[in-house]
This record gives sequence, structure tokens and C-alpha cells, in this order.
Amino acid sequence: MEDKLRRYVEGLFEETAPTKKAVELKEEMIQNLQDKYKDLIADGKTPEAAYNIVVAGIGDVGTLIKELEDDTMPDIEKYKEAQSKSAMLTAIAVMMYILSVLPLVMLSLFNSRHADTIGLLILFIMVAGATGILIYNNMSKPKYKKESDTMVEEFLEWQADTDERRTLRKAISGMLWSIIVVVYIIVSFATHMWHITWVIFVLAGAIESLINILFTIKKK
Amino acid sequence: MSIASDLIRGHTDSIILARLMGGDNYGYEINKSIQQKTDGKYELKEATLYTAFRRLEQAGCISSYWGNERTGARRRYYSITDSGRDTYEKLIREWQSAKEMIDKLIETEEE
Repeated sequence: MEDKLRRYVEGLFEETAPTKKAVELKEEMIQNLQDKYKDLIADGKTPEAAYNIVVAGIGDVGTLIKELEDDTMPDIEKYKEAQSKSAMLTAIAVMMYILSVLPLVMLSLFNSRHADTIGLLILFIMVAGATGILIYNNMSKPKYKKESDTMVEEFLEWQADTDERRTLRKAISGMLWSIIVVVYIIVSFATHMWHITWVIFVLAGAIESLINILFTIKKK
Repeated sequence: MSIASDLIRGHTDSIILARLMGGDNYGYEINKSIQQKTDGKYELKEATLYTAFRRLEQAGCISSYWGNERTGARRRYYSITDSGRDTYEKLIREWQSAKEMIDKLIETEEE
């Protein structure tokens, strides 16, 4: 019957996030209700009667449990807001990477050495700007900070940690490839050895693998 | 009974604070002493009791800690703070003056 009592209280908390506060309140309630139950049994009540008296004495815990939920809400919303801002910055940076080659291609149509230099200059500025945005975004992006410590929160924090690692790796990889493209174009234009400069891309692949390996080692 | 308990419900905070003036205690023990003092006529619902605990704790009137029971049962104890004592005195004064007023207002002239 005492287990039945525990199950009853656990049922009341079924829909509630297992925050520290909620778990503590649940344990406190179970403890106190079991004390009451034992006292009723000692007074000569049958287990069924004692159980019914205890359950009837609980009353409406709806508001109490709702208050617990309200405590946890604002933090998550703030986090989501920051996350969408960070997604926007990433999108802008990626767009700048893609558009950075456009001036070079358009200006090369003029077929003058001057136009090529200007195109390259714009490309460099845009790549630098986009890289700056990515780095700023990675540094300023809020980590999931735990407000109340529970197993769920701890899991989210753990996840945020690995997510951050993953985005950093992606950012580095993205930067690497845009830089490689720039290097390829510069080297090719400077040396006019187009038949061999493609080797740069093979090298880049090797460098990326190396970075991935470094990340895995660091994780361990 | 139901009218009386409605009246009492408005004073849940003072009742709980009064129980804690005598020393730290835990939920069931507090409720049991309320029941005994009223000869079993009044008892707080668990929901009312814990809501009041949270409210009083947030207001800084009480603080709580988990006791270290040898028997394995860990209980959450509540203890009244200095600001809780002030609140208690204030509530008692308010109740005294309200009681006097109500007594005067509902009394009929016997002349």
C-alpha cells in the first residue's frame, strides 16, 4: 500500500519536468504522506481506509505543480532567441563566402590586369568579413547555461557542449575551403600553371583530415 | 465547518509560522500538530501546505534543509528566519485588530 501511495504521487508529477525543485517536492510529499499513512495504520485503520484518507487529504496540487513549471520556462525561451540570432549570422557569413567570387568573375570579363586585382581585393575583404562574423558568432553564442540542475538540464548542457565543438569544426572546415579557393586562384593567376595548381585541392583535403583527427584527439 | 475552514485558510501563513516559532519542523509533523490543536477539526490539505511553504520560502520567511535521518527517511525541515519572525508578529497584530473590529461589528445591542 505504501508503494501504491508512492505511485499515486509519482502519477501527479508525471507531466512535470524533473527539475530539482519538482523532484524534491515529490520526495517531500511521499515522505510526509507515508508518515501519515503509518500513523493511521497505528490508529487501527485498515490499509484501504488509510490509503483513501491520505489520498483525500492531498487536495488539488495542480497550481502547485504549475508554479514549478513556470520557473523553468523563461530561460529556455531566452536561449532559443539567442540561437536564432546566431543562425542568422551564420547564414550571412555563408552568403558572403558564396558571393565573394562574383566580383572577381565579373571583373575578369574586362580582361585587364587591373580589374583582376580589384576583384581579388574585394574577394579578400568579403572572405575576411565573413570569417570575422563566424568567429564572433562562435565566441558570443550562449552556451546552454543550467538554471536548475537536473538530469535533463545536464543532458542539454552536455549536448550544447558537443554541438559547439561540432559547429566550430564546421566553421574551420568552411573557412579552410574558401581560403583554399582564394589561394588556388592567386597562385594560378600568378604562375599561369593551371595544369598543375589543382594539386592545392588535394593538399586541402589532407589538411582537413588532419584537423578532424586533431579534434578527435582533443575530445578524448 | 466549511465556513470556518474558509476563514482559517486565509491565515495559513500565520498558522505555519506559529508552528515554526517553536523550532524547526517538517511537513507532516506541522500538519499533525495543527490537527491535534483543533481536536481533529481542522487539517491542511497537502497542496495548501506545500504551496504555503514555497510562498513563505520565496518571501524569505522560512528556509528549508534536508534532515539526516538515521532510519533512512530523509525529511525536509523548515526553519523560520528573522524576517519570518517579523512577519509573524505583524500578521498576529493584524489579526488581533481585525478580530476586535469584527467582534464589535457583529455584536448586537442588549439593552
